[in-house]
Amino acid sequence: MEINWSSVIGIVATPVIAFIVGVLYGGAVRKITARVQNRYGPPITQNLFDIIKLYSKKTAIQHGVMQHLGPVFAITASVTSLYFIPVIKDSPYFQNFSFNGDLIFLLYMMVFGSLGMALGAGQTGNPNSAIGVSRGLSQMVGYEIPFVLALVAIMIQFKTTSLNELLAVQDHFTNWIIFQSPLAFVAGILAFLGMMHYAPFDVVIAPAEIASGPPSEFGGKYLGLMMTSGSIFAFVKLVLFVDIFLGGASDFITLIIKTFLLYMIPVLTGIVSPRFRTEQSILFFWKWPTFIGILAIIVVVLNG
Amino acid sequence: MVSLTTLYEITFGGAILAFIAQHTIKQLRTFIVIVTSALGVYIVWRLPSQATDISFRLGDFQILWGVNEYSQLFALLIAVLGFFTLIYSIDFMKERERLGYFYMNFLIVIGGMYGIVYSQDLISLFFFWEIMTWSSFMLVIYCCDDAQSIGLKYFVFSAIGAYAMLTAIVLIWANLETTSLSVLFENFTNLSSGLQITVIVLFIVGFGVKSAMMPFHVWAPDAYAISPTPFTALFSGALSKMGIWGLGIVLLKLAAQSGFYVWVQDIVAWIGAITALLATFYAIVQTDAKKLLAYSSIGQLGYIIVGLAIGTPLSIMSALFLAMLHGIFKAMLFMSAGAVFYRTGSTDMNEVTGLIRKMPWTFLTALFGIITVAGVPPLGGFAAKWMLYEATIQSGHYFLVIVLFAASTAAFLYLYRFIFSLFLGQEEKEYADIKEAPLTMTVPMVIMALFTLVVGVFPGIFINPIGNAMGYFGNYTFNWDVSSLLNEWGNHVDMMTVVMTIGAIFIIAAIFITIKNYRTTRYVTTKDIHTSGEIPTENENLTYAVDFYKPFERAIAPVLKRSIDKTYNLIAENLESAFDFLRYVYTGNGQTYALYVVLFLAVLMVFAELIFGIQL
Amino acid sequence: MYNDKDAKKIVDIIQSYARKHSLWVVAYGTGCGAIEIPPTMTSRYDAERFGIRGSATPRQADVLLITGYLAVKTLKRVIRTYEQMQAPKFVMGFGSCTINGGMYWDSYNTINALDRYLPVDVFINGCMPRPEAVISGFIKLQQLISEGKAEGAEKYLKNLEWYRENQNKVIPNWNMPDYNW
Repeated sequence: MEINWSSVIGIVATPVIAFIVGVLYGGAVRKITARVQNRYGPPITQNLFDIIKLYSKKTAIQHGVMQHLGPVFAITASVTSLYFIPVIKDSPYFQNFSFNGDLIFLLYMMVFGSLGMALGAGQTGNPNSAIGVSRGLSQMVGYEIPFVLALVAIMIQFKTTSLNELLAVQDHFTNWIIFQSPLAFVAGILAFLGMMHYAPFDVVIAPAEIASGPPSEFGGKYLGLMMTSGSIFAFVKLVLFVDIFLGGASDFITLIIKTFLLYMIPVLTGIVSPRFRTEQSILFFWKWPTFIGILAIIVVVLNG
Repeated sequence: MVSLTTLYEITFGGAILAFIAQHTIKQLRTFIVIVTSALGVYIVWRLPSQATDISFRLGDFQILWGVNEYSQLFALLIAVLGFFTLIYSIDFMKERERLGYFYMNFLIVIGGMYGIVYSQDLISLFFFWEIMTWSSFMLVIYCCDDAQSIGLKYFVFSAIGAYAMLTAIVLIWANLETTSLSVLFENFTNLSSGLQITVIVLFIVGFGVKSAMMPFHVWAPDAYAISPTPFTALFSGALSKMGIWGLGIVLLKLAAQSGFYVWVQDIVAWIGAITALLATFYAIVQTDAKKLLAYSSIGQLGYIIVGLAIGTPLSIMSALFLAMLHGIFKAMLFMSAGAVFYRTGSTDMNEVTGLIRKMPWTFLTALFGIITVAGVPPLGGFAAKWMLYEATIQSGHYFLVIVLFAASTAAFLYLYRFIFSLFLGQEEKEYADIKEAPLTMTVPMVIMALFTLVVGVFPGIFINPIGNAMGYFGNYTFNWDVSSLLNEWGNHVDMMTVVMTIGAIFIIAAIFITIKNYRTTRYVTTKDIHTSGEIPTENENLTYAVDFYKPFERAIAPVLKRSIDKTYNLIAENLESAFDFLRYVYTGNGQTYALYVVLFLAVLMVFAELIFGIQL
Repeated sequence: MYNDKDAKKIVDIIQSYARKHSLWVVAYGTGCGAIEIPPTMTSRYDAERFGIRGSATPRQADVLLITGYLAVKTLKRVIRTYEQMQAPKFVMGFGSCTINGGMYWDSYNTINALDRYLPVDVFINGCMPRPEAVISGFIKLQQLISEGKAEGAEKYLKNLEWYRENQNKVIPNWNMPDYNW
């Protein structure tokens, strides 16, 4: 069997790059939040220090095998979803397995981690964790609906469920799906606000209320792995949205610019927002974003 | 030896023998039951190569039994599930009373289901259908105080279904003078279009009751919850599939020929989708694990109905795939709930907590079960869900797919609640000395759990037999690789790559997290948690289980306010008061009745003269 | 130069650097001093620029900040919180009360010297110490970490019996689970 070295390099390099970018974005978000609040803010590498510190904690506790494996589920979901997304358009290095999966697969793969984490958090026996999970799953039902509406609108418009084919459609600036199907983009980006769990949809973590919710019993290496997974997962979601709506990226600089600008939408909304209660955020997603999503589908159907 | 008659003889004979053995030599009973069901598996497995059609006349009717790929698919599910649930029942039912009654009816249900799928004419179909209904009714009322009213509800709805079916059969007999299925398929278009739609609707009602289609589902949650768990697994896993088997025939063989096909498709598909969504919402607010699974079962059957109704090759494939898989995973879930019941005596999710360390295998089964139901890769459920969504989108049912997605995302809620409440959460002192369920219970469960993983990696092992079975409906070819899924736009998912990736990353990460700080990682009990410095005492239960999804319930409150069950009760109450006037007529007094007779005769005399011109 | 010993040192340098620049303080205000924490964290003094951040639960935290006097009842919860934290963990005594009892030195239900009950790494003097003082305390802790001198957790483990004796003396109904590190 012939080994395709460029794909091997890609498989090794993609998670590393995703991790670095995700971690730096996390730091940048903290810095930006600080600047908005008229503070100086931590260095941009702060999240990296946090993760290294968590890994270098000398002790750890676990309440059982499910908690032990919870973060493992999370990182599995993050890295697997990453492998099935074309990170850089047409690059032999960063296609990975993106030809072997499609959008519906990604939708389900991205839930895998949440489910594993929820199981892990459940085993800790901490009531705060369970409350957090209950909120998180409820909220997920909220934002998945506009997200799926947006995806279905795009799938039927371009008659494909494959990310690579969607990328091929957006071969020119004017063909980006954000311009071809703006309503789907609006529905998608509103769902994206919920997916990123920034305010006003941060009721899951809510540190001052339920002691950070699901991860409240996780410390040391477990929290470190969760933060690693979270950094990669943020990058995965960003790249997914860039690939779907913003025409992907053919080099790293474009990728960074696009993902960063996209990231600023939930972040800047979050900084100036208070927090929704769970049922408020569910009903929020079931009102305007869903309506816009339905409108997007109707427009596509009417246009033939 | 291997033929349909032997199959029926062995199954029904085994049923009677089990009943006799219970009253004479008790030790033999279990042996007879297991051997009977094992022989059933063997015969069904060997049938396709050897069986011939059996035909004989019964009065005016030609009775026809035969084997085809479609019935073979369902028969295999029945046989395997029957075998596993019976093994499971050995220990589960040990302490119960009236076991002869239980096992006799259990085997008769299995025999009745064999009869249904192998019957090639409407008379034997109806006959076996009634056998199945009656014996399952016997098992529903097997135990517990409120079995009476629940059994009655089940029976009333089964009767509605059966009479609908009987009416359809009578209509067909009256107009086509045949009861043979194959003749019916050929001559269906000879019926007038009004008759066609009547027959289709009547059959859909008849089969829809058993497959718990809305609005005929109200019997299902209670009947599933109250029947003994080994039977519940079969009830939900195989018996409800008889409705699906029939709906498949009605929708794809009869309705497809009529002019109303598009309408029937859309209406049934929407009914299925709404069934899925509402059942999911009801499942979320349940507090009893078995009832939750019952509603989940209704929801999953809704998906299957959608798949059948859409009627593209991919959607039929997904429906039958999900039907087979549902048989397995719902049996797994009911069995794990039953194992919890066996050890703790309760399936109340507000009460039982923290069994994971005591019942690891049961937990593993439940975990695989919920992952399969959720449709998360790498287990088998993903393939079914994937095909269903792709088929729904590609056949142009855009809003249907949103309802399905909403239902399947909301399904995470009740699935998590099921596994969290029973197995995770605080470990309680009350359940400190619970042991794992006995081997006869864990082994069937774990075998089925591993099977879902195999199906996840190689969906082909289901897709190819189902593809053959679909030959019954027309020419469909599925030349897929054993591990790949393909949609009509040419997009595909390669399950092998998916599973390898997930497996590799999972193992690497698991090794990393285990080796890292291995010596200084400590297990602490679930009482040793962060509670703001407070130390919970042994009897303090901190599990957050009551009203687990209160916020979500608030969000969907308008939906929950109206339930179909309540509507039926309202109708029943109104009917009751409407028929109250009959009490004034039927007073129960002999003199009044005598007066009626005299009055009747008087009226008869008057009218006879007027109308018929007869002088009395 | 790059023999095994040095290589290990490099990992240690990275680790201690990360530890030093990422101090998560468990959000637990014990006395009146907790009022000084919000200004320390928010825009005026912004402790986050040193990597100091609040954390919700002791499982995630590195630093236990004892903000002021400790009633005996609170002491029990503080000990519990400290024992739930994961090593390496640090304790900072905040204000005079933790050093010698401060204005509560003769109170019937507060303790006088915190380091008889928990291994304190850094004391911050004052009643109350201003946010500048708190931050300088944190910087002192960072120095100690980089020098490898902040080893309160080891000290606690080594002298557990002595600490337990002291704790048992003041806490009447002792029902804590064993600390088995």
